[in-house]
Amino acid sequence: MRKNKSVIGNFDWPLFSCYILLLLMGIGTVYSVAYNPEHPSIFDLSEKYGKQIMWLGISLFLGLLVFLIDSDIYRKFSLPIYGFTLSLLVIVLFMPAVNGARAWLGIGSMGIQPAEFAKIGTAILLANYLSVANIKQQSRKTVLVANAIILVPMVLILLQPDAGTFVVFTAFLFVLYREGVSYDPLILPVLNAIPIKGIHFKKTWVGTHFVPILFVVLFLSITTLLLSNSTITLDFLGVELAGYWGVFFFLLVLSVVGYFFMRMIFSRRDRKRALTISIIAFLLSVTLTKGIDFGFQKLAGHQKERIELVLGLREDPNGDDYNRNRAMAAVGSGGLLGKGYRNATVSSVQTNHVPESETDFIFCPFAEEWGFAGSIILVFLYIFMILRIVIIAERQKSTFNRVYAYSVAMIIFYHFAINIGMNIEFSPVIGIPLPFFSYGGSSLMSFSMMMFILLKLDSQRKDVLN
Amino acid sequence: MNFDSRKYVFIVIFVLIGVLYASKLFYMQVVDDTWKLRAQQIAEKRREITPPRAVVFDRSGKKIVANKTYYNLMMVEKNIVDLDTIAFAKLIGWTVEEIRQRFIDIRKGEGKYYNKHTGKTSSNYQKIRAYPFLKELTAEEMVKIASHLEDFRGFYKEVTSMRDYPFANGANILGYLSEVYQEEINKDKFYKPGGRIGRSGIERFYEKEFRGTKGVKYIVTSAMNNTVGSWEDGRYDTTAVQAPAIKLGIDIALQAYGEKLLENKRGCIVAIEPSTGEILALVSSPNYDPNLLVGNRKIRKNYPKLLEDPDKPLFPRPLASAYMPGSTFKLLQALIGMQEGVITTESGFPCNKSVVGCHNHPSARNVTDAVKMSCNPYFYAVTRRIIQQGKKKVNYEDAEYGLGRWAKYMHSFGLGHRLGTDITGLTAGNIPDPAYYDKWYGHLQWKFSTIRSISIGQGEVQLTPLHLANVAAIMANRGWYITPHFVKGFGEEGPKEEYTIKHKTMVERRYFVPVVEGMRRVVYEPGGTARRAKVEGVIVCGKTGTIENYRRQLKLRNHSAFIAFAPMDNPKIAISVFIENAGGGGGTWAAPIASLMIEQYIYGKVEPSAKEKRILDAVLLKKER
Repeated sequence: MRKNKSVIGNFDWPLFSCYILLLLMGIGTVYSVAYNPEHPSIFDLSEKYGKQIMWLGISLFLGLLVFLIDSDIYRKFSLPIYGFTLSLLVIVLFMPAVNGARAWLGIGSMGIQPAEFAKIGTAILLANYLSVANIKQQSRKTVLVANAIILVPMVLILLQPDAGTFVVFTAFLFVLYREGVSYDPLILPVLNAIPIKGIHFKKTWVGTHFVPILFVVLFLSITTLLLSNSTITLDFLGVELAGYWGVFFFLLVLSVVGYFFMRMIFSRRDRKRALTISIIAFLLSVTLTKGIDFGFQKLAGHQKERIELVLGLREDPNGDDYNRNRAMAAVGSGGLLGKGYRNATVSSVQTNHVPESETDFIFCPFAEEWGFAGSIILVFLYIFMILRIVIIAERQKSTFNRVYAYSVAMIIFYHFAINIGMNIEFSPVIGIPLPFFSYGGSSLMSFSMMMFILLKLDSQRKDVLN
Repeated sequence: MNFDSRKYVFIVIFVLIGVLYASKLFYMQVVDDTWKLRAQQIAEKRREITPPRAVVFDRSGKKIVANKTYYNLMMVEKNIVDLDTIAFAKLIGWTVEEIRQRFIDIRKGEGKYYNKHTGKTSSNYQKIRAYPFLKELTAEEMVKIASHLEDFRGFYKEVTSMRDYPFANGANILGYLSEVYQEEINKDKFYKPGGRIGRSGIERFYEKEFRGTKGVKYIVTSAMNNTVGSWEDGRYDTTAVQAPAIKLGIDIALQAYGEKLLENKRGCIVAIEPSTGEILALVSSPNYDPNLLVGNRKIRKNYPKLLEDPDKPLFPRPLASAYMPGSTFKLLQALIGMQEGVITTESGFPCNKSVVGCHNHPSARNVTDAVKMSCNPYFYAVTRRIIQQGKKKVNYEDAEYGLGRWAKYMHSFGLGHRLGTDITGLTAGNIPDPAYYDKWYGHLQWKFSTIRSISIGQGEVQLTPLHLANVAAIMANRGWYITPHFVKGFGEEGPKEEYTIKHKTMVERRYFVPVVEGMRRVVYEPGGTARRAKVEGVIVCGKTGTIENYRRQLKLRNHSAFIAFAPMDNPKIAISVFIENAGGGGGTWAAPIASLMIEQYIYGKVEPSAKEKRILDAVLLKKER
């Protein structure tokens, strides 16, 4: 009885409310998009909304189970759980392909996607590994094992192939960064192999901050390619920024915003460093992006075209139109207050202008129907949820809980950033669902389980010691 | 080591992305309009609805141009599933090979476009779009196909509207419709590819009055281009409005009767109501059934045949063919002579056959008799006096002055230029003036003797049968005319203003009296040239014309011409009849035809008679081959 009381007393209601809110908005949108006048009931199991409600019921049931099971079992059975999800990933490779990918286990629409559940398995094993007492952040073994835990499911997922989920698994790298796993053990041998007299590195800045640096470089590269190919018009200034100047402007804004943000959150002692950091970051990123831009322009025509195609910069020459253009039209046409519920013209399932508008492109009908007002609420909800998970993570006494919480935060963030980003030209078109929102049983169940495990771990945070 | 401060890296990333996404969303959804327009292009289609063209009624209220429903068999290639070509071929009565060819032709017909991005050329044809597989099927044809259509997925029927002519008469008046050309589409936004436009006749002249007002419907379409629903509940939709019915002055019964009379003859009849200028009938023979040129299918089949026919049925002779008027012209010479004061009503001239040939008759002692007997030497003398008035010392200058006066008079009768009739294809004809002969002979190089053949309506004088009918109307009105026109009203409105204005000739009413009396005697007195033109119960006034014509020095059979009006007082109908190469004189063929037309118009029917039978049986159209 004492334990139960503590569970409820320590339950994180803000996060749970956020989860429920997104679920309801998601089902509302699925109902709007897939509405079939012949089956008007939202509980009609022959329609997608009915099925989504069924999945929701199953998910809540799974959540209840999670709460009944003692949270210790995740730690104790982390390796079997991980192994189980991996084996599913192997089995799925022998299943018949659906839409060119062997991602489905089971029959037809009632099947599940093991890749969705592999995220949980990986998060648990990673949390267990990093929470082992006296783990060394600087050891070669740590960095290799931790990366291997992430890499094995990634390879299996790539074999399906499912590029979207593959990309999502890189979210775990950020968790390694949070836990201080250094890449120096991998970088130093290479660096020190260069015989320069008197210099022997023991620690590098790049190795320490390897993951964020890697992603900043990647992010800037993609941004450069995206921006240098288009012209940005600043109506209020009456300026057109063509080619690289767009990138330059973008970096300038980013640095200024970053500076003020750092001033806001830094302690008084560190505030003076904010200016230095933003200037250095600005100069470094300008150098980097100018280099990328220069290199890209030097590329041969067909190579350039390939990259542009992958990034969705160029129209698919075989298609009448391309998905992103349609998606952007749907989102952009929403206006300030939207066209009204069930009034989407571009992205409804009946018109079918936006493919997958109930799954991967579900943001389209939502943004079209609710406009900027709805979109900003949705963005706020996701950011709030992710930040809330970070707060939860940081209040954990146990490393296991923290690593797991960060994993959840990062995975939701990845899904959010890529899914919404591809509607607004901020990310390449990668088919991954919007958490709690998109139609689909596997994604709803796996995200729910992920969320309930987190809530359960958090509610018992005071029982755990390490 | 404690890495807790690294949480700020995460917080910064999350907040930054959130702000960035919100800003971009704000820009896309609120600031930038590009995507709203793009969305409209994608999903919200503006469909224009063309109303059926205005219907046409004749003067008695009979519908002479209607619209009829036709069907297109549409095809969406993407929706076609396992087409049983053999069964389909059997259904539409084609061969399998023809069906395959049709698919290829549709694809080819859409043309190609060049993609600047990829440098590739690809077809405009899209498998998801609807194309007409068979066009312009009649309801009967469609009924046979429609019941089996469910076996052939991807095919469906679509309704269109096309012209229908219940009377099959007046083709050259009504004209026909055909598909718009690209230049016409470029010039006027009303037209869209595949639309129809008036190509001749009043359909062309009154195109804007016929076409009506287009409706606009905003609809939401799917990626397959199918309609999903109306946009904003049709708040911005407008309905197509058909133009008000057009009422013609044509009497379709008279028109039909005229066409019947002219069967197997080459010629024209034009009948006008003198008091209003409304054209009652305008017959061009040989002609064609207007139903032959309805829709592309029939046009493609029939138009080349009609075009190549040596009798030129498409040619609107009464409007476009200028003939020498012959003796009908003498009426005008007499009027001008009196008005100019060079002769009086009682002037007599001997029938001197040494100056110009004539038939045997006593010399005319006054204008009235001269008209009755159509004496060539008499009008030769009259015209000589008009042209050579003796006001200038030099003969040549005198002729220049005289002809100048004469031409002005003629112009006041509507001759020598295009009458402003509401139809396309009018010809000006010719009234020679001094400038005209200067061009031929040189300035002051000609005098009356040079140009004398104009005195009896031969030589350079050229009038259309429409001009001649208008002259008849002027005679009936004793000195004025309203421009002959077809349309007497649009819905509730009357004709265009220009068709209500009286044009006065330069000849005073009093001079018409003796000439009109001469026209009566032409028909009713012994020695008159058109005794066959009598109509029971009304007094017909007429004037014959016999036009000699030659081709390559070979004398061909005379044209037979006759103009008339009736009744003498309070005239109801003015008419001109012109029969090409009929042989004989104006009284032989043209006059009896005119009298039958007058009878038909005044009594609404014609009693069978020997006269009618003679005309109906006559075959005056010699195939030239």
